[in-house]
Amino acid sequence: MDKNTIFKNLETAVVDGDEDRVKENANEALKAKIDPLVVVEQGLSKGLAVVGDRFEKGEAYLPELMMAGDTFNAAMEILKPEMEAQKKEITKAGTVLVGTVKGDVHDIGKNIVATVLETHGFTVVDMGVDVPILNFVEQAEKANADVIALSSLMTNTMPEQRNVIETLKQRNVRDKYAVILGGGPVTADWANEIGADGYGQTAMDAVALVRKVMSQKK
Amino acid sequence: MLNFMDVYERSLDGPVISEKEFNMKVFVPTVRDVVKKYDIKLDTDNPVATDDAAADNLFHAGVELLSRVGLYCMDSNRIVRFTEEEIRKELAEASGECHVGEGKDARVYGMRVPDDPKRPWFHGGWSWICTSEEIATNQLEALASLPYADSLKIPVIKTLRGIPFSGGSPGEMYAAIRQIRIGREAAKRAGRPGMPIMNLVGQASAAVTTIGASAPQFGARPTDGWIVGIIAEMKTDYGMMNKVAYLLAWGANIGAESAPILGGWCGGPEGTAVVNVADIILGIVGYKSNYHLTFPIDSRLGCATTRGILAVVSAASQACSRNVRVPVNWLCYTAAGVNTRMYFHEAAAYLLTSVTGGTASVGIPHPAKGVKVDASTPMEAKFGIEVSRAAAKLNRDKARELVPKLVAKYESDLANAPEGETYQDCYDVETGKPHEDYVRLYDDVVDELTKMGIPFE
Repeated sequence: MDKNTIFKNLETAVVDGDEDRVKENANEALKAKIDPLVVVEQGLSKGLAVVGDRFEKGEAYLPELMMAGDTFNAAMEILKPEMEAQKKEITKAGTVLVGTVKGDVHDIGKNIVATVLETHGFTVVDMGVDVPILNFVEQAEKANADVIALSSLMTNTMPEQRNVIETLKQRNVRDKYAVILGGGPVTADWANEIGADGYGQTAMDAVALVRKVMSQKK
Repeated sequence: MLNFMDVYERSLDGPVISEKEFNMKVFVPTVRDVVKKYDIKLDTDNPVATDDAAADNLFHAGVELLSRVGLYCMDSNRIVRFTEEEIRKELAEASGECHVGEGKDARVYGMRVPDDPKRPWFHGGWSWICTSEEIATNQLEALASLPYADSLKIPVIKTLRGIPFSGGSPGEMYAAIRQIRIGREAAKRAGRPGMPIMNLVGQASAAVTTIGASAPQFGARPTDGWIVGIIAEMKTDYGMMNKVAYLLAWGANIGAESAPILGGWCGGPEGTAVVNVADIILGIVGYKSNYHLTFPIDSRLGCATTRGILAVVSAASQACSRNVRVPVNWLCYTAAGVNTRMYFHEAAAYLLTSVTGGTASVGIPHPAKGVKVDASTPMEAKFGIEVSRAAAKLNRDKARELVPKLVAKYESDLANAPEGETYQDCYDVETGKPHEDYVRLYDDVVDELTKMGIPFE
């Protein structure tokens, strides 16, 4: 199979969420001794970009995003050993810790943001829901996160976002991480009030915000 | 008929599955399959549906979805399954009525049907818009005094004595007790001591604070109504189930609540509509609810006035009002805020859609997506009452003519909607009267909408 066909197959497999096809073509890519970084760039990432673009236009939704992400990761499991053997790694744009705060079990918006961030080249550590404050703080340290993204879908749980920021200050690590907020009842005013680094209403706002804080870090 | 203990027991011995697998391997593929099988199609160009057969078809799709997906318990990681036979039996036995309030204020909150000339029930108040402590008491009195308000909804305060509090905390407990007490007192001062409060306990996010604040000595009565959430999508946990168990033991009214998300796991408008119907049925079957509060939401814009959501509301309200015996409140969240023309256009579009679709009740369309503190006033309540009464004089065909015209006025501004003002910006806090500019805007909008064909009284 020629490499352009492989790239196209990988791209469409990600778009279609077809893990079998993506694994088959990832193996073909290895057989053809194509640079795995090029495989990611010319094949897999293009598929993510297509789905991401469709999502922004309202033509694709969370299931398509998640399936594309899972399919991408299925291919990466096959390519990773070769990348490690060649001492190559994908340049990631940054590491973002994402989670819904304690007392809150809503996750759909958080899932959308996490997946969209991944499709835009960020490493995402998804903490899940109902996350205690110290879990955010400790995992941020372990994951060497650049950004902590806190989601709250209820007005009653928004104070937990403030509590995370206060805890980072108390531990003298506030400056190590950018903290951004999201979620239904959250506003820019609230983000300013509690000393967050930004607020995003949509998943694309989150991408723009993370890029902005990352550029300010450099 | 299923007893709630049956539901609980099934949360202990239903099939085990992770939440991710439930979402991706059960929920999503089943929604897609049901949409395809029943050929569900919504017209987002003109969101108001008029086909009774399509509405009934959507209802049957909702029944099948629930029978195949079930209710996922996040605490036990098991699916609570219901057979189609069980579901249909529960629906056949549902009363369609909710008895609320006491004394002269005792009412029957019942159903409407599409094109029903009966005015919808009106819930005076807002559930999740935060109110400052300083004006909370005055606001509650104003809400309880609203003419034509059938029930009270108590706003949420953000701080207590200036101290912010988290979900499930002692601060939340005290705040919840305080709000119920003030709400009850406000109703008395408005001369309506028996007025039911139907969004208990909006101030409380946790089961412990809900149940604690609901104790009768703080003012709550079983003839009030409690909101218990179905977690998106089609999930529950023991916190929610504890609320149900407590309320059933007390004989209190249970309002299941659902907010299917367009763009989330439901996918597009068709999937969201099927899930919306399934949720309302699930409230009866799983939570033994006798009323329902629902607010499908657009995930990208966080509001309920997009074409997609209006199409969901139109289709699902008709499917349920024709086939599911439970009074439902379809609740609107506008993008634009208080004292903006756009707010009124959005609210009118939603109310025309839901009222002609057969919604049992309406509430104050929540401005600015419900997120701006102190951003709701009695003026929006007045508008909600007046438009809903006017909409009851219309039918779906007329709504189909008017709603697209209203949507065209605001949809290009949805992504950057004006945030609007607060109560303090546009009302005299001491007298409780609106400023002149807001009255002028209101009158101008009513004039505009009357000329469009909305029959204000």
